[in-house]
Amino acid sequence: MVLGLAVLVWLVAPVALKTLARASFFEMTAPVVAASSYVNDLQKFWALRLHSKDELIEAGRDMARINAKYSLSVQQTGELQAEVERLQELLKMPAIEGYRFEHARVAQRDFSAWWQRMVIRKGADYAIPVGAPVVYSGGVVGRISEVHAYTSVVQLTTDPGLRIAAVVDGDTRPISYQGGDNQVFGSPKGLIEFVSLDVYASASVPKRLATSGLGGVYPPGLTIGRIVHVESSADGLFKAGEVELDPRLTELTEVTVLVREGAL
Amino acid sequence: MRATLVLFLTLYLLRALVAEVNNALSGVHVWLFAGGLFVSYAALAMPFRSGFAASILGGLLCDCVSPVGFGAHAILFGIAHTVVFNLRERIQREETPVRVVVALLVNLGLFLAITILRMRIVHLGAGVWPRLFWDLAWSEVALLLAAPWFFALQLHSLELARAKPSRLA
Repeated sequence: MVLGLAVLVWLVAPVALKTLARASFFEMTAPVVAASSYVNDLQKFWALRLHSKDELIEAGRDMARINAKYSLSVQQTGELQAEVERLQELLKMPAIEGYRFEHARVAQRDFSAWWQRMVIRKGADYAIPVGAPVVYSGGVVGRISEVHAYTSVVQLTTDPGLRIAAVVDGDTRPISYQGGDNQVFGSPKGLIEFVSLDVYASASVPKRLATSGLGGVYPPGLTIGRIVHVESSADGLFKAGEVELDPRLTELTEVTVLVREGAL
Repeated sequence: MRATLVLFLTLYLLRALVAEVNNALSGVHVWLFAGGLFVSYAALAMPFRSGFAASILGGLLCDCVSPVGFGAHAILFGIAHTVVFNLRERIQREETPVRVVVALLVNLGLFLAITILRMRIVHLGAGVWPRLFWDLAWSEVALLLAAPWFFALQLHSLELARAKPSRLA
C-alpha cells in the first residue's frame, strides 16, 4: 500500500518538483564533496612542504625554462591572431567565436561501468553553462552535464552515453565517437563508427582522433585519443574501431571549462 | 520521525564514504556499489513506516548524484525494502551474519536492476559485461567487510538518539 502510494507520487509528480528535489539533495551532498576535496588539497600542500630546498630550486629552474618557451608561444599566437583578424576583415568572414577559460579543481570522480563523471569545484557561481566543453593539456575531458550552486558535473569522454563528432588526423570526413570500454586495471578506451574504408590504423601505427567542430559543442582539433584498431563493420559500408584514451584522464586534478563568449 | 532522521544521517555518511572510496579507486577503474546497505538494516530491524521512509530518502541521496531519472533508486530501494520486510519473519533477522547475507542479496538485486535501467537509456556495448561483473564482485566483497560495522553504527546511532524500537518491530 505504502509502496504503491510512493510509486504513484513519483509517477504523477511534476518534472519541476523532481528537478527541485534533485537539486536540493545534490546541494545537501555538495559540502561534503567540496570539503573532502579541500582536505585533499591541504594534504598535498603539506606533503609538498616536505620536499627539500634542492628539489624546489631544480623545479624552479625547470619552470623558468617552460615559462620562457610559453612566452615565445604567446608572442607567436598574438601575431597569428592579428593575421587571422586581418584576413577575416579582408575576406569579410564571420568572426570566430571566442572562449573564456575557467580552470577548476576536480572534487570527486565517479567512474562506474554505467557512467563516468566527475564533480568540479566551480558552478553557477562562475557562470558555467550546461553543455560547455571541458579540456586539459591532453585534449578533451568531456562536457558539463549538470551545473549546481558551486559545483558542476562533467560527463567524461569515457562515458558510454557520450558521443562526439570526430575526425581522423589529416582527414575532414566526420566519424562517430562513443565512450565506453573501461576495463578494471586497464586503460580507458572508446569506440568509433562510420569510419571510411580507406582509413587504416593499428596499435603499431596509431592515428590521432580529434574533434571535428561539428555539433557546435567542441572546438575543432582537440585530441580525443589514438585510434589503435579499425575493422570493417558488419554491413561492409564503413569501418568501426577502438580508440585508446589518455590514461591521465582517470587521474586529473585540474581541468579547464571552455565558456563560450561572443566573437573574438 | 526521529528514527528516520537518524537512519538518514547514517545513510548520508555511508554515501559520502562510498563516494570517497570510489574517488580513490577511480585510477584503477574499480567502482563499488553499496545499495544493499541502504536498505537492509531499516527493512530488517525497524517498523515499516520509519524504515521505508529512510530507505526512500537513501535512494533519493543516490539519485541526486546519478544520471538516472530522479526517483529511480528511491523506487528500487522502496521495492527492495518492502520485499525484505515481508520476508523478515521467516529468517533469523537478529543475527548479524543473516543481516549481512540479506544485504549481499539485496545489493546483487539492486545492481542488476540498475544495470537494466541504465541499458534502457544508454547502449552499453558487449565489452561492458566483464567490467560490470568485476564491479559487482568487488562491491560484494566490500559490503561483506563493511556491513557488520555499518549495522553496528546504525544500531548505536539509534540508541544514542533514543530512537531504537523497544523490541524488534
